[in-house]
Amino acid sequence: MNAISPNPSRAYDLNFARYVYENIDGGERLRMCMQCGACSGSCPIGQQMDHGPRKLFMMIRAGMKEAVLTSNTIWNCVSCYNCVVRCPRKVPITYILHDLANLAVREGFDAAKKADNARFAKAFMWSARKYGRTDERLVTGIYYFSFGLLEGMKRGMGNQKIALNMIKTKRMHLGMPHAIKAKDELQNILAKAQEIQDRHGKGA
Amino acid sequence: MSDKPKSQTVLVVGGGIGGISAALEAAECGAEVVLIEKAPTLGGRVAALNRYFPKMCHPTCGLEINYQRIKKNPRIKVFTMAEVSGISGSKGDYTVTVTTTPRHVTPACTACGDCAKVAASEVADPFNYGLAKMKAAYLPHAMAFPMRYVVDPSVVGTPEGQAIKAACKVEAINLDEKPESFALQVGAVIWATGWKPYDPKNLTMYRHGEIADVITNVEMERLASHDGPTKGHILKPSSGEAPKKVALIQCAGSRDLNHLAYCSRICCLASMKHAAYVREQYPEAEVDIYYIDIRAHDKLEAFYQKAKADPGIRWIKSKPSRIEKGASGEPVVCGENTLSREVYANAYDLVVLATGMQASAQPPAGAQLDDYGFVVSEEGVFGAGVATGPLDVSMSVQSATAAALRAVQAVRS
Repeated sequence: MNAISPNPSRAYDLNFARYVYENIDGGERLRMCMQCGACSGSCPIGQQMDHGPRKLFMMIRAGMKEAVLTSNTIWNCVSCYNCVVRCPRKVPITYILHDLANLAVREGFDAAKKADNARFAKAFMWSARKYGRTDERLVTGIYYFSFGLLEGMKRGMGNQKIALNMIKTKRMHLGMPHAIKAKDELQNILAKAQEIQDRHGKGA
Repeated sequence: MSDKPKSQTVLVVGGGIGGISAALEAAECGAEVVLIEKAPTLGGRVAALNRYFPKMCHPTCGLEINYQRIKKNPRIKVFTMAEVSGISGSKGDYTVTVTTTPRHVTPACTACGDCAKVAASEVADPFNYGLAKMKAAYLPHAMAFPMRYVVDPSVVGTPEGQAIKAACKVEAINLDEKPESFALQVGAVIWATGWKPYDPKNLTMYRHGEIADVITNVEMERLASHDGPTKGHILKPSSGEAPKKVALIQCAGSRDLNHLAYCSRICCLASMKHAAYVREQYPEAEVDIYYIDIRAHDKLEAFYQKAKADPGIRWIKSKPSRIEKGASGEPVVCGENTLSREVYANAYDLVVLATGMQASAQPPAGAQLDDYGFVVSEEGVFGAGVATGPLDVSMSVQSATAAALRAVQAVRS
């Protein structure tokens, strides 16, 4: 097994490709990529990605660790699976992008911490852990205020009308957050998932 | 000697260019040969091509020479509309059951065409890959061997069938013919069962059959052929107009684990040939070739270099992800240019899918096949031509010659 280079600021890591092949979810099939571009061409938001999956995979092979883990491609994937279905080499592109995003956070890249999806995922997981479900107000609040007090208020005010309509149609409620009954069981499930992920991350 | 072959006859199954070559080479070595073909004529898929790469010569020329060789060689027996339905035994002593489909036309036929003139109903024309229909009494194509008409079973027992029979001056029509079976004793078998184009319906993202101006490479051959549905003019199937912008999409099914896992080898050159057809007919037309990488196999790099030098051909390194329908029904090819990273959506008048070569529809009974459905040679049973894997015509002939040599050895030792 290969270790990722310990210094996250290092732009190039010649071990990076091998690390990805051996440790990233679906990374093993990445060896099969033949750079045809079917993935990036299939992507419904390919225009919004800085590199797109195909180029990102080439960058992995080139050892461009920092550029890969600070790319917006790993965060912009919407899991539509168009690319996975069309990939002529059966590379599970979606899994790889999601696990790379995870790696970017673990490696402490600033861009990863600041990514929109990372902020939202963090707020979502907080709510899921605490209540066993998402509380729209709290998740949205934590997500908005992660951009700072001023930006948070601005975003909140901007979406006031939507919020009021959601309350009216009972898509959002006022009062204490609802929680599920067997929270401890969910906690056990999450702990197990974390354990599997950690073990996976070590190449087990 | 107990292991002396009981039969010195070589059976060749499939009358395409591979089977014809194998049969001729074996017969010209002195072996007795039986050549069977399930279609009404020899020639196979080669007969449906417009030109060969790289010399752009007509397949009819090579076929004509081979037909002459067959006619002059008394050691070859040809059965058309016949299929192998069973095979048993071992090297030197096989019993093969052959089943024939009625042609309803006897060898007395002079190919005058009077029967076709009175035939009213139309049937699907496999020679033109469904691009055209033909009369229920038909000559399979201009280069048919034997040069004999066929009456489609759909008209048997109808007044139309009687009219067709009555129209024949030489009384060559026999509507009472029934399927027959007979057994052959042979010493070696050559499977030259060929290929079929990969079904574009499986490539749902390319919408063949849904967008009229998306065609396949074999259909392109028919459009470009003088005896094809458009008399050799490459025209848009939707409107019959001349195309100004043509896209050729490589690896439509090939090199794809969801479809054909292997490279079909011939498609790159075939598409360059198609580019040449278009540029020859319409010097103003633009041709875009979408490719993963160009595989100009064998000694054909020069053909690629020549195509590359043509300013009217644009090379786009990309496997298109999908084809969309434009505002006026035209095909729009979408994907990522892997050299520029540009995500494109280009509209065309005509899109040609370079569909790959798939092992023949019905795998030969009792033959050993590899993972992809191609024939693996064994003792006494040999594959020839595209039955063994994707090959171009010249390689197919080489493969057939090799198989003939092995078959001749098998029946003589």
